[in-house]
Amino acid sequence: MSTAITIPRYTVEAEKGFDHRTALEEAARCLLCHDAPCSAGCPAGTDPGRFIRSIRFRNPKGAAETIRENNVLGGSCARVCPYDRLCEEACSRCGIDRPIEIGKLQRYAVEQEKAFRMKILKAPRRKNGLRIACVGAGPASLACAAELAKAGCSVTVFEREQKAGGVLTYGITPARLPQRVVDQDIRAVEGLGVRFAFGREVASADGLLDEEGFDAVFVGAGLWKAAAAGVPGEGLKNVLYAVDFLKAARTGGGYPQMKGRAVVVIGGGDVAMDCATTARLCGAEVQIWYRRTIAEAPASAAEIRYATGLGIGITQNFAPKRFADAGGKDAGKGKVNLAEFTGRDGQSSASVRCDFVILALGQKAEAAFDPLPKRKGVFTGGDIAGSGRTVVEAVASGKAAAGKILDYCKKRKGV
Amino acid sequence: MAVKKDLSITYLGVRCENPFFLSSSPVGGNYDMVAKCFEAGWGGVFFKTVGIFVADECSPRFDNTGKEGLPWIGFKNMEQISDKPTEQNFEYLYRLKRDYPDKVVVASIMGSSVSEWAKLAKMCDQAGVDLIEGNFSCPQMTSHAMGSDVGSDPALVEKYTRAVVKATKIPFIAKMTPNITKMEPPARAAARGGAKGVSAINTLKSITHIDLDHLTALPVVNGKSSISGYSGAAVRPVALRFVANLCADDFLRRRGVEVSGIGGIETWRDALEFLLLGCRNLQVTTAVMQYGYRIVEDMAGGLSHWMDERGHRGLEDFIGGALANIIPAEELDRSFRILPAFHNRKCVGCGRCYVSCYDGAHQAIGWDARRRRPVLDEDKCVGCHLCLNVCPVAGCITPGAVRWKGRAKKSAPAVQEHYD
Repeated sequence: MSTAITIPRYTVEAEKGFDHRTALEEAARCLLCHDAPCSAGCPAGTDPGRFIRSIRFRNPKGAAETIRENNVLGGSCARVCPYDRLCEEACSRCGIDRPIEIGKLQRYAVEQEKAFRMKILKAPRRKNGLRIACVGAGPASLACAAELAKAGCSVTVFEREQKAGGVLTYGITPARLPQRVVDQDIRAVEGLGVRFAFGREVASADGLLDEEGFDAVFVGAGLWKAAAAGVPGEGLKNVLYAVDFLKAARTGGGYPQMKGRAVVVIGGGDVAMDCATTARLCGAEVQIWYRRTIAEAPASAAEIRYATGLGIGITQNFAPKRFADAGGKDAGKGKVNLAEFTGRDGQSSASVRCDFVILALGQKAEAAFDPLPKRKGVFTGGDIAGSGRTVVEAVASGKAAAGKILDYCKKRKGV
Repeated sequence: MAVKKDLSITYLGVRCENPFFLSSSPVGGNYDMVAKCFEAGWGGVFFKTVGIFVADECSPRFDNTGKEGLPWIGFKNMEQISDKPTEQNFEYLYRLKRDYPDKVVVASIMGSSVSEWAKLAKMCDQAGVDLIEGNFSCPQMTSHAMGSDVGSDPALVEKYTRAVVKATKIPFIAKMTPNITKMEPPARAAARGGAKGVSAINTLKSITHIDLDHLTALPVVNGKSSISGYSGAAVRPVALRFVANLCADDFLRRRGVEVSGIGGIETWRDALEFLLLGCRNLQVTTAVMQYGYRIVEDMAGGLSHWMDERGHRGLEDFIGGALANIIPAEELDRSFRILPAFHNRKCVGCGRCYVSCYDGAHQAIGWDARRRRPVLDEDKCVGCHLCLNVCPVAGCITPGAVRWKGRAKKSAPAVQEHYD
C-alpha cells in the first residue's frame, strides 16, 4: 500500500485555500507589474493584476468586487481554470522563480465575498425594456445573462435540469469544485435579477422569438450528447458515457456501486480526468486509456497531475476495439467484463478486465440545436459554439455574445 | 572545519569572549534564562532592570508591525523593569557570576532618587557583577521619576550617575533614550557624572496601530492602551544614527567613553554595522524574543566568515572603520550623476522601474510596451537610482555610465558594488 497516496472521500476538497495571512504573503510575492501580463492572459477579463494589488494593499473586499464585476463565475473559475496556460503562464514572476498562485488568490478573494456577506452585483434601477432569453444555464449562458442584466435587460434563463450551472453542477468533481462555490456564483447572477425557468426543455429558438416575444435569444445549451466509441459491446451493461456518469455522481453524492471495482476510463480530455478522479474518489481502482500520447492529450496539466496523484494510471496510444461480457459476448444485456484495445502502431494489442467502462470521447450538441440555428436575433456561445473548451473561455464567449446582442438590439430597436 | 575567528574584545576593562550581549529586557530576567543564553554562546547579559520599584504589569503587553506578509519589522513592548523582588534579582546575579565566571554579567538598575540609585549600586557591589548599566531610558514607566523622563534631562542623568559612581568602583554605563533630538547632551552629562560608557538606543515612544474595534492603540488593555517603546529592525537606522553621533563626539572620545550599540540587531551584518561605527559592545532583545537565543550562532559564524574574507584577525582591526566616511551633506561630492544600466536579459518585464520613475522620480524611463522593457532617457535621468531600489530582480539594474556635471574628473566615483 503506497504511503504517498491517500484517497479522501468524494466530496472532500482537494486543496486547502489561503487564509488572510498566507494570502497576503502570496500577494507580497507579486511584482505588481505595469500593464500586468496576467490580466492580459485572462480570456474573461477577470483582471488578476488588479485584484492581487487589492489583496496586497489590504483591501480584500475590493479584490472580491474586481473579480465579481469582471467575471460573474469568478468563484468557479478560481477552482477549475487552467491557470498554468493562462494568467500564471503570463506571470512576470516566472522569470525569477515561479508564478504567483493566482487561482488560489482568486479563491481567497471570492471566499471573502461570502465571509463578509457582500452583495456586489445589483440589478440596475433603470431597465432598457429588452427581453432576452438564454437557453441553458451553463457557464456561457450565465455569463451572458449577467452582462445583459447589468445593461438593464430582463433576462430569462431556460434550463431543462432542476439546477443552474451546467457542467459546473453536473460535471466536474466536487473535490475540485464544491457545489457551494457554484451556488455562490449562481446567487450572484440571481442578484442581478436574472430569472430562471427550470425544467423547461427548449425545442427551438424560433418559439422564444416568435411566440414568447423575446427580443433576442442566446443559445448556450452546451454539448450533452455523448460521442459513441463505435465499437462492438458499447451497449453492454456498465459501459457508461461520461456525461451520464458525472451527472449521476454529482447528484447522488458519489457512485457507491464502483467501490472496490475495476474501472476503465477511455479518453484524454478534462472530462476523462474528471471521470477518473470521480471514480477513484468513490473507491474504484481506475485506469485511463488514451488513443494518443499524454503529451497530445487536451486535458490540463493540473488535471493530469491531480489524477496521477490519486494513483490513477494512464496508458497511452491504445484505442478501444471491443467490449465483452464474462461469456465473451459483445451483444445482449450482460455486464461488461473485458475491454480490448488496439495499439496506435498497428501491431500492439491489449485487453483488461474491468467492471465498468466510462467513455469520455467528447460530446455533441443535441438534436434541437444541431445544426445551430442561423437566424437573426439568435446568438450562440460556449461549448455548443466551439468556444467553451474551459469555463473561463465559456464566460468570455458569453460576455462577448452579450455585447453583440446589445449591439443588435440597439440597431434594431434603437434601445 | 567551520571558520571560527577570535571575536573577543575588552569592553570597559572587562574581557568579553564576544561582543554579543542580551540587552536588559524580558529575554534575561532570571537565572535559568541567562544560563541558557550563556550556553547558547552569548558573551554576556545586561540583566533585566532591577529597581527598588517592583513592576506590576498589564496584559497583553506586546504588538508588532509588519509589511506585506512579513511580521515583526517593528515590535512594541509595554513591559517595565523587573517584576521580581529586588533581593531575588541580586541573588540571581550573584549565582550567575559564580557559575559562569567567564561570561560577563551586567546589572541594569533604575532608581527614583539619589538614595535609591546609591543603594542599588551597593547591592551590585555585593553581588559581584562585572558592570552596571543605569536605565535612564525606559519609555513606559508608570512613574515619571524614572525612565526616559529622566534620560531626556541631562542634569538628572549627571546627578544619578554621580550617585552610583560614588557608591561603587564597578564601571558604569548610562543607557540613552532616543526620544530626543540630540543625544550628545545627556551622554556628555553622564560622562561628567563619571560614566565610563553609554549604551544606545533604548526604545522609541510609539503607537504601532489603532485597533479599529476599540478605537485605541494596540495592545488593547481592557479597552485602553498607552504609548510605549518600539524596537526591532525598524528602529535600526535610527539607532545607527545616534550611535554615529555618540562615537564621533569629541567630548566623549577625549574621555574614552565606550559605546554599546542597541537597536534592531538580528544578523551578523547588523552587528557589524554597529561595530563599524565604533561600538565595542552589542545588545540584542527583539530578535531573541522572536527567534530565541540560538541566533547568536549565526552572528558569530557570519562575522567570522566576513573577517576571514577580509583577512581580519580581531575586532580591533575594523571597529569604527566607517565613522570617518560619514560626513555632513554639504561636503558630499556632487559633481556627477550615475546613470542606471539595465541588463535586459535578466529583466522579467514587470515595469516597476518605469512606474516608480514616472510617479516617484523624474520621468526618465520610457516603456516599450511590445517588448515589455524600460527605455532610459539619459538627459532626463538624474541618477537617483530609485529604479535600482524598486527592481525585484537581483543584478538586473546596476550603476552604469558616469555623467560629469562639469569637466570630467580623472577617476570614476566609488559606488555601491553589492546589492541584496
